Amino acid sequence: MKYILLMNGTKAGVGSYLEWSQQDRDGHMAVLQRLNKELTASGEFVATQGLAAPHEAMLVKGQRDGLPVTDGVFPESKEFLLGYWIVEVDTPERAYAVAARISAAPGPGGVPTNMPIEVRRFASHPERKS
Amino acid sequence: MKFILMMTGTQADWDQYAKWSKEDLERNVAFMRTFSKQLKDEGVFVATEGLGWPNQAKVVRAGKDGAPVTDGIFPESKEFLAGYWIVDVENPQEAYKIAARASAAPGLGGKPGNIPIEVRRVLGGHADLGL
Repeated sequence: MKYILLMNGTKAGVGSYLEWSQQDRDGHMAVLQRLNKELTASGEFVATQGLAAPHEAMLVKGQRDGLPVTDGVFPESKEFLLGYWIVEVDTPERAYAVAARISAAPGPGGVPTNMPIEVRRFASHPERKS
Repeated sequence: MKFILMMTGTQADWDQYAKWSKEDLERNVAFMRTFSKQLKDEGVFVATEGLGWPNQAKVVRAGKDGAPVTDGIFPESKEFLAGYWIVDVENPQEAYKIAARASAAPGLGGKPGNIPIEVRRVLGGHADLGL
C-alpha cells in the first residue's frame, strides 16, 4: 500500500523555520536524511520532495479561452504543502510510525517539533468509485 | 524547473464529487488519462497521483515516547489534497498554462470545472530555499 506523508505549514511557520540557527537546521536535516536511508534500506522508500517557499505559490484557473488566470493571494491561515514522503508499506500503522518519526525530528534546541504529518493513501480511479 | 500542480478540495467538495453521475465521472477520468498522455508526449511529465478519500486521512504526531498519536478530525474548511501532477518545464509560465488545462477538466454536464490549481516550485535541494 502506498501512502503519502504530507508536511504542511502556514507562511508564518515557514518564516520561523527560516530563522532557525544553522545548527538546528543541520540537526533536523540529519535526522530526516537518516530516516530516508533507513526507508531505502527497508525497501519502503518511494520518493520525497521539498517544495519552494509559499511566497512563490500561485493559484491558477482556466478561463473560457483556456488561458491561465493566476492569483498569488492566499488567506493567512492557508496551510501550504512544505514537503512530502511517499512510502510503500504493509499496513497503515507502519505509515503512521514513519510519520511519527518525521514529527519527532528535532527543532530549535534539539527539541522534537512534534509537527502534525498528514497521512493519506493513494487511490486509483476505479478504487475511488467503490 | 520542476513544478507540482495540486488539486485540493474540502470534505464538502469531495461529497459533491461522490454524487457525480457515472457519465460525468467517466468523462472526467477520460480527460485525466488523455491529459497525462499529452504531458508525456510533450516531454514534460514527471509524475501524477490521485489520493484516497479525506475520510481516511489521519494526522500523526509523535508522542513523548516517539510513538505515533493519530487523529482523524479536521476542520470543515480544511483543504485536502486530491491529486497532483509534477511537470518539468522551462519556466513558471509553462507550468501555469498546464495548470489552466488541468483546471479546465470537465465537471458536471461536461462543463469545464475551472477549479483552482495550486502551482508550486519543487526544490532541487535545501539550498534552493536560500539557506
